[in-house]
Amino acid sequence: MATFFEQNKRYLIWMGYILLAVVLLLWLGPLIGEKRPSRWVQTTITGLLTGGIYALIALGIVIINKASGVFNFAHGWMMLLGGFIFYSFFSSGQVSLLAAVLLSSVTVIMVMTMGSWRDLLQPRTALITLAAIIILILLMSLPGTEWKFVRAIAGGVTGAMLLGLVVERFTVRPLIGQPLFAMVLMTLAIGRLLQGFIQLTWGSVETPLQIFTTPEGTSLPTIKLDSLQELLGGVAIIQPGLLISFVLALLAFVGFVLFFRFTNVGLAMRASAENQRLAQAVGLRVRVILAAAWAIAALLATVGGVLQGGATNLSVNMPLLALLAFPAVLLGGLESISGALVGGLVIGFVQEWTNLLFPGTQAHVELAPYVLLMIVLVIRPDGLFGEKRIERI
Amino acid sequence: MKRKMLFLLMLVLMIAAALPATAQDMAMPDFIQHTECEVDLTGQTIPIYHFGDLSGSYAFITQPLLAGLSDAIKYYNEHGGICGATLKSDVGTEYRDTGGNREETQAAYDYFSTLADKPDLVVLYASGDAELLRTQVEEDEIPALISAGSVAGLYGEDAQTPGWIYASNPLYADQIGSFCKFVSENPDRYPDPVIGYISWPGAFGEAAYTAETIAYCASLGVTITGTPEYFLPTATDISTNVQNLVDAGANILYTNSLASGPAIVAKTVVDLGLEDSVQIAGVNWVLDTSVGLLGRTTLGSDGLPAVNGLVGSMPFHWWTERQVPGIAFINEQAAANERQLSTQNIAYLLGFGIVDTYTELYIQTVNRVGSLEAVTGADLKQTIESVSYSPLGLYTFDYQGGEVRAVPDNRIAQMAFLNKTMNGPATSGEDALTVDLPDGTKAFIPLIIPLTEFAAAPDLRPGGADVPAS
Repeated sequence: MATFFEQNKRYLIWMGYILLAVVLLLWLGPLIGEKRPSRWVQTTITGLLTGGIYALIALGIVIINKASGVFNFAHGWMMLLGGFIFYSFFSSGQVSLLAAVLLSSVTVIMVMTMGSWRDLLQPRTALITLAAIIILILLMSLPGTEWKFVRAIAGGVTGAMLLGLVVERFTVRPLIGQPLFAMVLMTLAIGRLLQGFIQLTWGSVETPLQIFTTPEGTSLPTIKLDSLQELLGGVAIIQPGLLISFVLALLAFVGFVLFFRFTNVGLAMRASAENQRLAQAVGLRVRVILAAAWAIAALLATVGGVLQGGATNLSVNMPLLALLAFPAVLLGGLESISGALVGGLVIGFVQEWTNLLFPGTQAHVELAPYVLLMIVLVIRPDGLFGEKRIERI
Repeated sequence: MKRKMLFLLMLVLMIAAALPATAQDMAMPDFIQHTECEVDLTGQTIPIYHFGDLSGSYAFITQPLLAGLSDAIKYYNEHGGICGATLKSDVGTEYRDTGGNREETQAAYDYFSTLADKPDLVVLYASGDAELLRTQVEEDEIPALISAGSVAGLYGEDAQTPGWIYASNPLYADQIGSFCKFVSENPDRYPDPVIGYISWPGAFGEAAYTAETIAYCASLGVTITGTPEYFLPTATDISTNVQNLVDAGANILYTNSLASGPAIVAKTVVDLGLEDSVQIAGVNWVLDTSVGLLGRTTLGSDGLPAVNGLVGSMPFHWWTERQVPGIAFINEQAAANERQLSTQNIAYLLGFGIVDTYTELYIQTVNRVGSLEAVTGADLKQTIESVSYSPLGLYTFDYQGGEVRAVPDNRIAQMAFLNKTMNGPATSGEDALTVDLPDGTKAFIPLIIPLTEFAAAPDLRPGGADVPAS
C-alpha cells in the first residue's frame, strides 16, 4: 500500500484536487443557479475591477520586495500620504510658491544625487536639475480649478518621489547588509511615523478627493450595460473610478514587466534583491537601485491612494486596504509582478463571488481571501507565480 | 485730603455703576436655567474627561464634538463656569484619541481611571467602547455619558441590567422600531414595506438588527429581510451588497452607519437605477451634515445629492430649528468661533449639551454633598437618576427612577437641501443653494425636516415592553 502510494503520489494528489473541485462545484452550483445572470456578470465585473486596486497596491509591495527582499508594512500609510499630497494640490486654488519651490528643489536634488552628492558638481547634471526644478515649480503653481489635475499630478508625483527617497535614504539605507527582519521592523516604524505626520498635517476627518467628477463637479456617470439588460435579466453597471483603477493597474503591470525584463535598472534590482552584498561586489550601485525602488513604490502607492481616495475618501482607514492586498501579494508570489496582478484580481473576484453566494456574512472579507491563500500555498508554497528557491546548506 | 476722599468716592461710585453691567455680560442667557449654586467653587477646576475614536471612521462626527466641547467650555468659563469653578478638557490630560482601537480604548480608560484624582464622570463616544467598559465603570463607580445606544452597552448581555452608562439618544434597536412605526403609519408612502439592513460591521453597525426589532416590525406589517449586509468603511463598491438585499425583496435600505456609510449606500442606489424604487433610511447619525457633504457629487435624477430624501431618527433639535433658544444660541456661538459647515453637525450641538449637562449635574451634586472634593461618581449617579433636565433645550436628560439608560424620546425626520431663497427645501438641483468649493465641486446645504413630533420610541430590548410575545 505504501509502495503504491509512493509510486502514484503525484496522480493521487491531483485526483484529490479534482475531487475537491467537484465537491466545491456540487456545493456552489445550486447557489450560483439561484442567481440571475445579471448578478453573475455584475459580481464578476465588480470583483475584477476592485481587484485592480488590490493589484496596484500589491504591485507596490512587490517592487520593494523585488529590490530589497523587504515586505513593506508601511505601504498603506504611503498610499494615504501620497493621496493627501495630491489632494493638497488638487483642492487649493493656488499653491504657495514657497511650498512649490521647496518641494521641487528638495525632490529634484535628491533624485539627481541618488548615487552621490558630487554628481551635482557636473555642469550637465546641475543644468538638468535647475531645469527640472523650474518646470516643476511652474506646473505646481498653475492657478485656478481648470489646472487642478496638472497641478496635482505634478505635486503628487514630486511628493511621492520625495517620500520614497526620504524613506530610503534615512531609514532603509543605514540598514543595508543588516538582517532583513530589522528592515521589516523599520517599515512598521515608518508606518506609525507617517500616520502621526498625516494626522498632524491633515487631521483625521475623512476627506473627499473628487477626481472622478465631471467639469460641472458631479460624479462621472456610471456605465450601464443597458443593451445586455434583457439577455441578463437585470441591470449591470461599471463604476468609472474602478474601471480607471483597473486600466492603470494593467498599464503598470505591462510597464513593470518590461522594466524588470529589459532594462539595466530592472535587472540590477532583481540582482540586488538576490544578494545585496554580492550585487555590490560586482559593481552594482545598490544604493541607487534601492532608492529607485522606493521612489517607484511610493509613486505606485500614491497612485493607489489617489484612486482609492477618489473611489471612497481619504481616511485613516485606507491603510487597512493594504492589509487586504497582502493575501494578493502572497497568492501571486512575493517577487512576481504578474503574480501581483493575478493575485489582486483573483482576491477581488473571490471576495465578490463569496459576497454573492453567502450574503449576510463577513466571509467575503474575513474568510475567503485567506482560505484561498491557504489552499494555494499548500499546493504552491511560493505562490502562483513565485520563484522556487533552492538553498544550499 | 478732601480732594483725595472725593476722588475715591467717585471711583467707588463708578465701579458700583459698572458692576451690574459686568454682571449682566457674565451672566448666562435667560433660557439657560441652572439650579442656584449654594457653594462657591471659585478657584477650583472641573475636568471633562473623554476618550474615543477621534481619528478613525467616526472622526467626521467626533472632531466636531471636540469643537463643540471646546467652544462650550470657553463660553461657560467666560460666564462663571460651574459656581466659579473652571471647566477644563485638554488633549492628553483630559481626553485621548483611541482611533477606534479596542486596546487603545482600554489603555485610555486604564490611564484615566487610575489617576490619583480619578474621574467622577466621563464621556464616551461609541457603542463598542460602552460594551467594553460597561462592567469596568461600574466596578470603579464612574458614571459615563454617551450618545450611542447598543443594548449590550447600556443594559448588559441579559438586556435587563442597567449599568453606569447613560445615553442621550434612544437605543439603536428602538430607533429602527420608531422607523417601522412611521412606515406602518404611512402606507401611501410605503405600500409594501420590506427593509434590507445594510451597515458597517461591529457593535454600532449591528446594534439594530435583532430578533426583537424584526418581530416588532413584522407585527406592524413591515418585513425585515432574513440576512443583513455588512460592508467595511473602506469598501469601494457595495453594489453586490445592495443587490443582495434588493433581490431579497427590500424596497427600503436601513443603515446603522455614519458619514461615508450612508453616502455610499445612496450612491450605489442611484448607480443601480434604484432611486425611484428604494428608500434609504437609518439611525440618527445618517441625518447629519457629514452625510450631505460626503455625498455631494452623486446626484439623483432631480439634480440634488443622492442622499436627498434620506429618512431617519432625529432625537435632538437641529440647527435650523432656531425657534429653540438653545439652537439659536449655538448658531451664534458657531458663527462667533468661525466654525465651518462641516463642523456644524449634530456632534457640535451635543458638545454644548454635554457641557451644560455637566454644569447642572455638578451644581446639584455639590449643593447636596457640600464641596467639590466630596463629590464621587456614586453621588453624580444619584443626581443623574434624580433630575429631569433639558440641556439647552436640545434633548431630554431624564433617567429618573434608575431603570432607564437611553432617553426614549425620538422623532422621524428627512434630509433635504436648502433652496436658493433660503426659505425651505430645494425641489431640484437648479433650485438649490450651492457653495463652490476649491476642488471644483459644489456643496449643497443640508436641512433636516422633521416628519413626526417627538414621541417615545418602542422599547425593543430583549424582554422590552414593546417586544411582541412570540
